[in-house]
Amino acid sequence: MDYKQDFAKEVYEKVDSGAEIKVCMQCGVCASTCPLREHMKYSPRKIWTLIRAGRRQEVLTSPDIMLCTSCYTCKVRCPRGIPVIDVMHGLASYALSQGITPREETAKFGSVFWAGIYGTGRVDEAIVPIQYCLKDGLVAGLKKSLGMMDIGLSLMKAKRLKPKMFIPPNIAIPPSHKIKGIKELQRMLDKAKALGARKEG
Amino acid sequence: MSDSTSQTIVVVGGGITGLSAALESAEAGHKVVLVEKNPYLGGRVAQLHQYFPKLCPPYCGLEINFKRIRSNPRIAVHTLAEVTKIDGQAGDFTVTIKKSPRFVNDKCTACGKCAEAVSATIKNPFDYGLSEMKAAYLPHPLAVPPFYVIDPSIAGGPEGQKAFEACPYGAVDLGDLGGEETVKASAVVWAAGWTPYDPTKIEYYNFDSSPNIITNVMFERLAAANGPTGGQIQRPGDGAAPKNVAFVQCAGSRDENNMPFCSTVCCMASLKQTTYLAEKLPEADVTIYFIDIRAMDRNEDFYTKVKQNPKVKFVKSKIAMITPGEGGGLVLEGENTATGERFKANHDLVVLATGMQPNTALNAKIPFDVTYDDYGFAMQSTAGIVPAGTTRRPSEVVTCVQDGTSAALKAIQAGRR
Repeated sequence: MDYKQDFAKEVYEKVDSGAEIKVCMQCGVCASTCPLREHMKYSPRKIWTLIRAGRRQEVLTSPDIMLCTSCYTCKVRCPRGIPVIDVMHGLASYALSQGITPREETAKFGSVFWAGIYGTGRVDEAIVPIQYCLKDGLVAGLKKSLGMMDIGLSLMKAKRLKPKMFIPPNIAIPPSHKIKGIKELQRMLDKAKALGARKEG
Repeated sequence: MSDSTSQTIVVVGGGITGLSAALESAEAGHKVVLVEKNPYLGGRVAQLHQYFPKLCPPYCGLEINFKRIRSNPRIAVHTLAEVTKIDGQAGDFTVTIKKSPRFVNDKCTACGKCAEAVSATIKNPFDYGLSEMKAAYLPHPLAVPPFYVIDPSIAGGPEGQKAFEACPYGAVDLGDLGGEETVKASAVVWAAGWTPYDPTKIEYYNFDSSPNIITNVMFERLAAANGPTGGQIQRPGDGAAPKNVAFVQCAGSRDENNMPFCSTVCCMASLKQTTYLAEKLPEADVTIYFIDIRAMDRNEDFYTKVKQNPKVKFVKSKIAMITPGEGGGLVLEGENTATGERFKANHDLVVLATGMQPNTALNAKIPFDVTYDDYGFAMQSTAGIVPAGTTRRPSEVVTCVQDGTSAALKAIQAGRR
């Protein structure tokens, strides 16, 4: 494998927590501790190697960098103390800033989630899934929600999702119950975004 | 200021480092007080089956050292003793030695009648808890001094009385209170040794979930002729001969969450232990899971030889999870970083190659103003207090012997300045 430093330097400088991967000793613990390991083509260890090998396209288009559910197990167990999760989120956000969407579904869900926070200062557990399903249009949305029925029913069984959440006036589209001081929150978020963009620039 | 004839050196620790320091000092003409916490000399070396790379039994070298001690009137040995206080300065220290009761005096002939009479048992620390023994015991068959010990848990009760009544020589002394004594010394060598890293702290290895997950020091006892199985390598869970053994390197070492440093000996220890299996259970499959194999200088030859054994497989992976499987077996998970494959592997015995934690980081801190590194190893910082062996850095036996000798020289010099 050729080692081209250009992309590695780009990651160290422009990706949030990107420089942390310098101390990786390639032990492979992250690969086997991730609860989503069965769904990964490239484990974090492999991503770091691809970065060191200069494989920019493969890294930034890899769905694996957007798969993280923030469970923090890898960060806790990494024997070199690398905040694996922070690097993964940094890479995903950097890919988006470069006009690349590594994993379509996660990006869609993220945009709905974010719109909720930015628009109202809240995340509504009933509205987010509805908006997420309807993002591709009504027919596609119904299809998708039927496909996810099992998950929905399990969530209800575990009382994480309650039918009454979906009964008006609990549900209103667009959500009307903004937090107090939404303008201030938006100013903070804008500023954070600008700071992030400056680094990724 | 002492001159060379009246100089006394206190050596803390009767393991291989302390023995070397004590003997070299005494044979150079100085008085030595050797203080050992265990009821016997020899330390962790006495618990080994074989040394690497020569694969000779440690008792060979220990016997020579014990003979040198016996024939040297300048060495006073205190077992079951600890140094609790050091006052003064180089050339003029006052050292306080606290002795725990053995409840047996030097009339003991090691006949074993007390052990026969007693029925209470305790876990055998010499076998790292792999066996039980009577609460009146000889620490191990070749123990020096060769005296029995009555465990404090029975000394005050009817079981202790049984031991007392069984002794034909009047050697059992249930009124033993231990005691304290102070010694004037020109220098103190601190060779308090190490403890295997506690494997329960690596929670994802689930050490407590199966008796068939053991540590490398326990494996030494399984292979040793004076061990709990008489040298037969058996699974502690069911006594069966293991068919498929895993060695997990860096168990808690080179890990920011446990011990961030490399203990330098565990790779060679595991390579050595594969030769026990090759000799005793040649049909057994062996896998070594490693990050890097660190077999330095002449030990590289040993590594090359082990690699020639087709029964020994090397997999480049730090093990990320150990869980109990079927039939007392264990499932090991990791990512083979040479091939990129994630794997789940079944083994029937797992040996964790745990590293060396200095006792100065645990229960044997030097009672004097001494500087330690980030991991608790003592630095050469105070005149007259000489850290040596694994108190100073992780090291194998040969380095400890050299370091003990060098500590003797430093201690002698400290008294002459």
